[in-house]
Amino acid sequence: MLRHSAEECLALADAVLAAVPEGEAEVRVVEDDLALTRFARNTVHQNVAETGLSLRLRLVAGGRVGVAEVRGNAGGSIDRLVRLAEEARRVAPAEDALAPLPAPDGRDGPCGWSDATAEATPEQRAEGVATVTTAAAARGLQAFGALSTRATQLAVVSSRGVRRHGRRTAAALSAVVRGEDGAGYADRHAVDAGDLEPEAVAAEVIETAERNQGARPAETGLHEVVLSPYAVQELVGYLSYIGFSALAVEERRSFMRFDERLMSPSVGIRDDCADPAGSPFPFDAEGVSTRPVTLIDGGVCRDVVHDSVTAARAGVANTGHSLPQPNTIGPWATHLVMDPGAVPASELVAGVRRGLYVTRFWYVRVVHPLRTVITGMTREGTFLIEDGRLGAPVRDLRFTESIVEALDRVQGISAERRLQLGEDGSSVVVPWLHLGGFRFTS
Amino acid sequence: MRDVAERALDEAVAAGASYADCRVVVRTVQTLEVKNGRVARVALSDDEGVGVRVVVDGGWGFAGVDRIDAGEAEEAVRRAVRIARAGARLRSAPVRLAAVAAVTGEDRTPVVIDPFSVSLERKLEVLLAADAAMARVPEVRVRDSSLEFVREHRLFASTEGARVDQTIVESGGGMDATATSDDEVQTRSHPNSFGRHQLCAGWEAIEEMALPEHGERIAGEAAALLTAPPCPSGRMTLILDATQAALQVHESCGHPTELDRVLGDEAAFAGTSFLLPEMLGSFRYGSEKVTLVADATAPGGLGTFGWDDEGVPAERTVLVDQGVFRGYLSSRETAAVLDRQSSGTMRAWGWSRQPLIRMTNINLEPGDSSLEEMIAGTEHGVYLETNRSWSIDDRRLNFQFGCQNGWEIRDGRRVGLVRNPLYRGITPEFWGSCDAVAGPDEWRMWGVVNCGKGEPMQIMHVGHGAAPCRFRDVSVGPA
Repeated sequence: MLRHSAEECLALADAVLAAVPEGEAEVRVVEDDLALTRFARNTVHQNVAETGLSLRLRLVAGGRVGVAEVRGNAGGSIDRLVRLAEEARRVAPAEDALAPLPAPDGRDGPCGWSDATAEATPEQRAEGVATVTTAAAARGLQAFGALSTRATQLAVVSSRGVRRHGRRTAAALSAVVRGEDGAGYADRHAVDAGDLEPEAVAAEVIETAERNQGARPAETGLHEVVLSPYAVQELVGYLSYIGFSALAVEERRSFMRFDERLMSPSVGIRDDCADPAGSPFPFDAEGVSTRPVTLIDGGVCRDVVHDSVTAARAGVANTGHSLPQPNTIGPWATHLVMDPGAVPASELVAGVRRGLYVTRFWYVRVVHPLRTVITGMTREGTFLIEDGRLGAPVRDLRFTESIVEALDRVQGISAERRLQLGEDGSSVVVPWLHLGGFRFTS
Repeated sequence: MRDVAERALDEAVAAGASYADCRVVVRTVQTLEVKNGRVARVALSDDEGVGVRVVVDGGWGFAGVDRIDAGEAEEAVRRAVRIARAGARLRSAPVRLAAVAAVTGEDRTPVVIDPFSVSLERKLEVLLAADAAMARVPEVRVRDSSLEFVREHRLFASTEGARVDQTIVESGGGMDATATSDDEVQTRSHPNSFGRHQLCAGWEAIEEMALPEHGERIAGEAAALLTAPPCPSGRMTLILDATQAALQVHESCGHPTELDRVLGDEAAFAGTSFLLPEMLGSFRYGSEKVTLVADATAPGGLGTFGWDDEGVPAERTVLVDQGVFRGYLSSRETAAVLDRQSSGTMRAWGWSRQPLIRMTNINLEPGDSSLEEMIAGTEHGVYLETNRSWSIDDRRLNFQFGCQNGWEIRDGRRVGLVRNPLYRGITPEFWGSCDAVAGPDEWRMWGVVNCGKGEPMQIMHVGHGAAPCRFRDVSVGPA
């Protein structure tokens, strides 16, 4: 449970601001409380919790910027924080064209918060875990995974008048179930721990595990595929990492070619911090309100996300996607949403005469950013699809494929979607996808 | 700090813990970054707190709190105890720990020049000079260089009587030059990719990197790669530079020898391992040229320390001896499963996360060849430098790596630069095809600063001693 109120966080930020002797300043207060129960072989083997509050100060004076951060005894470290930031600022060369700190924008929006998650107990986490391990044991299987609950609050206060506070919660249950010769995977992510559906996770992962026993090798090459949301979120996440940032476009390392159709007309991807299917949070690391951005619409590249720096350079509106400034990473799309289709996921499989169903990708890495080529492995549930039905399991395969080219082969999108939450507070909402081809290489 | 730890342990015993340990950690970091001629970031940070780990009713509990304060530490103990009790009812057997002698002592990273004694101005001078050197090549669109310095003071105390106090100092630096054209993006790095190379050492490590002296070279290489022909495709001889050899060791030896993975503790996330206990002492992991050790005593490595985070002294453990699989990275709990002693590889990310089995310095022992000898002895192949992408399956068998730079070799000579090189293989087959490793003159300790493992995720700094090495009949091709 968080130990400070919103008012206390804002007051702490105010106190830092008051201690700054000159120039502009921005203070970020982040408090985080995380608990996680981890299980393996149907037993709890790691069970942890942590709580911490950090203070970050950005000082801007005389054309110089300095940053300091203190975590630990933060309330008693204000003087040290200011001194460190001033020490950092003093050595930076002066710049004429330093952008001012963002001004207040007067907007607000929803936060994805649940008291049930913030107040979740170790006993409740153990109960959720037991649902999975007991079900697995009853089938003679072994379960592995984790159930986590997290509460975070962020306050941003600046000398330009920004004064924001927001909070969010995240809960996740992930499970691998293994039999003698194969495994399955399932997870659920939610703002509210009450929505984790341990029984549904157990049923799904056990069904996949029991189906995935005694896998045989499959041919490499281009296969028609149905990808589950666990796999699709890797494609969308990496597409964003590679190219949805204005800085990536500026530095000519993004695939985005504006107003050109690069993908199937059925592909739509947005960043929407207010979408209730995601994990809503209304502002970025500078306290600027995050606006919805249409990234891909009808397969056409439309826009990218901006922070105050890229927006100023491009002369466009800041979309409120900043990481803590200053940074060299650039803006970041943190609330990705892929548009749903109209058919049930089960019908996607029914539409494939011969292909592969992929439960999950693993260890995905960028091979060529401009061509959006990534590589990775399938894991815990890859199956033949034969005459519209899931068939025999196949051994894990390596893929090496261009995301853009793969998304140009979309033949079907499910109506159902799943939420995936990252440890950094980001979220991705994606459906099942039927692709006309996906390249497996070894 | 000592008082806080003692109070925490007393509280744990009073609350019914059969075992407890406490780590008090103070971490100071300086980060400086220059991008495209501008100082992009000067950031100074302090992080301190207490992590307590308890065994209660046969189950583990851990809690971390961001105050070095006896009352807060006692509260963390109470939280850890409640957590342990909640999970203990789901355990099939109580925690069992391999015995270890209760040690006391102090240790400090030896440094020639304390990096925190060097002015921030001097550090920025180095970065700005490196940036200016890269800027001499007009095709380079993005220039990025950075330095990082870490000082971490760790106190470890356990209910078994261990009391150790150590200070770790790290110095790291690196730079990237990225050239772009309409259809290509090419980056070259020095001394290594992933942003920087880092060692447990002082400012002398930064001086040895000579960043400004290498700026124009890597910028020119990045520009040349834009128009270089694609890497040839097919099965051929592969020679890796020491940095890529280090990453190959990391992914295909370091991780699969982690005993927690072998036992299934990481099965749902990081994965398992193909190196099963019944293979110890007999499985042929690689050729007789291949000897790999976990050495937390090696000078300068990011996995060098006095004691691990269970109070086990730093050790040197043979993992692979002349190609035969011999040992694991282990903890007190996992070692007990095999009726062995811990190899001293439990490490935690700061105070807030519990220790896990992590790599220390996983080193490929030097051989008796040299890079030039290896090239001279190659009819057709490629020599690859500096990692660009890396991927391996969850059992650590099927891998594919990409490198920044490639040189095609014909009849014993480098004949030209090639771009976007990839190679792929299956771990034991790949190491089985190793027919040469360069000698001590070309062997260096490298630092990997982005090794992720565990839930919640912990990023660990680990070391790898490596030298250039050669592999025959490898699948190679362009991205």
